[in-house]
Amino acid sequence: MFNFNKKTIFKYWGGKKSKQSLRVAGNRVVRQAFTTLTIDGCEIKAPVGEILAVTLFVNGKLTLKYSSRIKEPRGFFCLMGSCQECLVIVDGIILPACQVFVQEGTIVKTGINK
Amino acid sequence: MEKFDVAVVGGGVMGCSTVLHLSRNQMRTIIIDSGALCREASGTNAGTLTLNMTRAALIPYAIKGWELWNNTEKWLFGGVGTRKVNGLSLAFTEEEEELLFKRVEARQAMGAPIKFISGRKAQLLEPGLNDSVRSAAWCNKDGFTIAYLTGHAFRRALKQENVSVREYSKVNKIEIEKNYFKIIFENNEHLKAKRIVLAGGVWLEEMLNWLNVKIKIKCLINQLIITERMPPVMKTVLSIANGLLSLKQFDNGTVLIGGGWQGIGDKKRGGVESIPENLIGNIRLACHVIPKLRYGRMVRVWLGLEAETADALPIIGKIPGISNAYVIGSVHSGYASGPYMGWLLSQLIMEQEPEMPLFDPNRLINK
Amino acid sequence: MTKIFTNDVKKVDLVVLGAGPAGVAAANVASKEGAEVVIIDENSSAGGQIYRAPPNEFQPQNSFKSDEFREGEKQRNILENSNLTALFKHRVWSVSSDLVVSTVGPNGLSSWHARSLIIANGALERIIPFPGWTIPGVIGLAASTILLKSQYVLPGQSTVVAGCGPLLIAVANGIIKSGGKVSAIIDLNSKSDWIKAFPRLLSRPDQLFKGMSWFANIMKAGIKLYGGHAVTNTKQVDNVLRISIAPINSAGSILDSKNQKIVEGDCLAIGHGLFPSTEITRLLKAKHIYDPLKGGWVPLIDDDFRSSIPGVYIAGDATGISGAFSAVQKGRIAGMAAVRDLNVMSSQKYKAKIKSELIILKKNENFGKAAVRLMKFRPELIQTITSETIVCRCEDVFRSEIDEAIESGARDLNQLKAWTRCGMGPCQGRTCSEAIEAILASKVGSRELAGQWTGRTPLRPVPIEQIIGKYTYEDIPIPENAPL
Repeated sequence: MFNFNKKTIFKYWGGKKSKQSLRVAGNRVVRQAFTTLTIDGCEIKAPVGEILAVTLFVNGKLTLKYSSRIKEPRGFFCLMGSCQECLVIVDGIILPACQVFVQEGTIVKTGINK
Repeated sequence: MEKFDVAVVGGGVMGCSTVLHLSRNQMRTIIIDSGALCREASGTNAGTLTLNMTRAALIPYAIKGWELWNNTEKWLFGGVGTRKVNGLSLAFTEEEEELLFKRVEARQAMGAPIKFISGRKAQLLEPGLNDSVRSAAWCNKDGFTIAYLTGHAFRRALKQENVSVREYSKVNKIEIEKNYFKIIFENNEHLKAKRIVLAGGVWLEEMLNWLNVKIKIKCLINQLIITERMPPVMKTVLSIANGLLSLKQFDNGTVLIGGGWQGIGDKKRGGVESIPENLIGNIRLACHVIPKLRYGRMVRVWLGLEAETADALPIIGKIPGISNAYVIGSVHSGYASGPYMGWLLSQLIMEQEPEMPLFDPNRLINK
Repeated sequence: MTKIFTNDVKKVDLVVLGAGPAGVAAANVASKEGAEVVIIDENSSAGGQIYRAPPNEFQPQNSFKSDEFREGEKQRNILENSNLTALFKHRVWSVSSDLVVSTVGPNGLSSWHARSLIIANGALERIIPFPGWTIPGVIGLAASTILLKSQYVLPGQSTVVAGCGPLLIAVANGIIKSGGKVSAIIDLNSKSDWIKAFPRLLSRPDQLFKGMSWFANIMKAGIKLYGGHAVTNTKQVDNVLRISIAPINSAGSILDSKNQKIVEGDCLAIGHGLFPSTEITRLLKAKHIYDPLKGGWVPLIDDDFRSSIPGVYIAGDATGISGAFSAVQKGRIAGMAAVRDLNVMSSQKYKAKIKSELIILKKNENFGKAAVRLMKFRPELIQTITSETIVCRCEDVFRSEIDEAIESGARDLNQLKAWTRCGMGPCQGRTCSEAIEAILASKVGSRELAGQWTGRTPLRPVPIEQIIGKYTYEDIPIPENAPL
């Protein structure tokens, strides 16, 4: 596991893998407020109102966990809280990322069952 | 019309074990169930093989059962995921400690390898335990199986031994003819058997009634809760002094919470639904014992029916007043001792002296 | 002993489960007639999936606001101006046979004892597996609409949109309007399937016009549309998904598997139609029938949307897929039936009021019928589920294991589950049930013979932290000791 200064905005995700451009631009929709949360040890800024699964997605985290038996990488699938594929650890508890809204100071860990 | 040496009515672990042994001794056998094999109590229980929760009088039988479940390759040819782990029954209060001590004594007297240990020693065996644990009963001949695998395993073993398996066939009544029994199904088909074994679990009362034998069998509706896969939070089988918690974590990371908390249902409808207050109470108890459980999620609750006689002891043996008719069941936590009980009854049926005493149904007639 | 529930279990006239168009309509009409109503939804506000609200903190420009956005606002206003209790961010985990609804919400556990219950929990999206469907980046069509409409995020730089039904065209159009790119559209329906749907779509000329403008946008953008094609395989090469597609016939059978085409994108948005969510009705052991023209298994209901359970009514897509417009009428009729049965409304008034609803319903249902036909399940599509394809995602159960279990004698769904673990994971079979039921049905003869999975609590996984609340050891109501 890499060791980054917690206060650094994680540039690795902001590079080739970042999908931040997938957020529809401000000429169509304005995101009014922002918050900071920690994902896998790195501080990430996200708009208030964004679903955690989406924040992970636009920051390049497509793989959220590994499947039960064959440990295949899995990401979100239904975004409706039904399929349970987007499970991540939120402040210690296993939860579907699509049912969690980003909040200041939340600590998120991905990679369950690796 | 076919005539069998033995027909077993009821395809749970009792019936399956009995018929397996009979078939291996060259008897022409058939086992009948209104559903699929081992899908009722035998497939829905917590799979616990603990001696801590077994009634003192049944300890010798449960020990034999434990040995059999740990050697399934030898007699079942397939596994049910048996895990041999330490078992701990815990006390958190002074009253519980007293109760625990009594229970340990009673079980030790029956030969159970159970030791009364301090809370601290218990924590060495099970680091995930709540610090407030005062003392524990420790059994090293403990463990669990995956109950829902039982049906599939028996099915293969029975087929290999040429036992006729007749599932999804409900028996309506049994008529006593001169030299045989006539088993009549709901669809009016019938078959003949020289001997019958009633192994119908919670439906034994109705079955015995077919033969005009009256024994009351109580039907418990046990709630069981399973979590989703979690990181390892425990490595033993746990229970509480009063016997009302059963807690274990499977290899796949799911945690099973049980202990006899009741839901809603009956013999006719089966398990209908759970009682939310009882679910919450059960889970609170589990979380008190293993605090890290609170980081998981409850994924499913199901209900298992369990049979219990008036004195909470089994009925295994000849059916009073009727030759060539036998009954087996109501063992209370009978899954663990099931394979051994079936073996004992098969000995009786083959006119041998059973290795250990059976449980005469006569004592319960009309009680 | 500390209370388990934060409220005293109150008896209310009507509890409505789900605040989509059907639920809101039902709750509103019942409340107006004087009934005491509680409506419960796990989302933050009303709208269901179709009118799902973007967060308050996101301000879409007026020109960017879609019809659904505006309709959703209307619905949310209706609720705000109603005299009923709306519980958002509350997840129902149990409904008992005597209609006690248990929820877990921001303040812990609550329970509501309903005299009548309206189930308006909508639909789920069907997906028939194919090799590679579990690769991150392969998402549902419904998931794409959530991304686009309620989060204002594109599913990918260049998305392949696949599957069937109006949702296919809606997603493709939504991506274009949001400034994104669609690589290709892979439609199970052929041109003739769409033409056949045309007459019914005329029942709602406004919607038909909207749909045609979507088509026009797609043509204008030069997007290749493969009609009568299915996705058969997806592979990931670097950051690109290479998606194989093949032509199919109307039953879903793959034609000419040797000459498959490849399309590429960084996201595959795919969905094979909607089917009613029967989680709650199965839990209550209501009677169901299998009707492919309603989306699959549906609860058995009468003309007034009463289920086989006294006091329980069904509304919206939960009665059978027929779309958001029909949902409103169904909700109103069910709501009025409930208050009539509670004697809060007279039979006379009921008969008078539903007359107009029924006329509008017929029109909307006709439109909805076209939509559901475009989304109907094609049994032969299970050909895309090869032996090496995972069917149950939660438990990693392969098609080969399911086939083997059926071969060795598993003949109903619950047996199949015990032998393979399919359906035992946290999604409890919601994702794989359509595929597994169809596989089993192909062997045992029909969906009816294959059966349905037994419904159990909790309806969705509940964090143990939330269910235990705060308590002490002494609080736990321990039953009688086990025998010595």
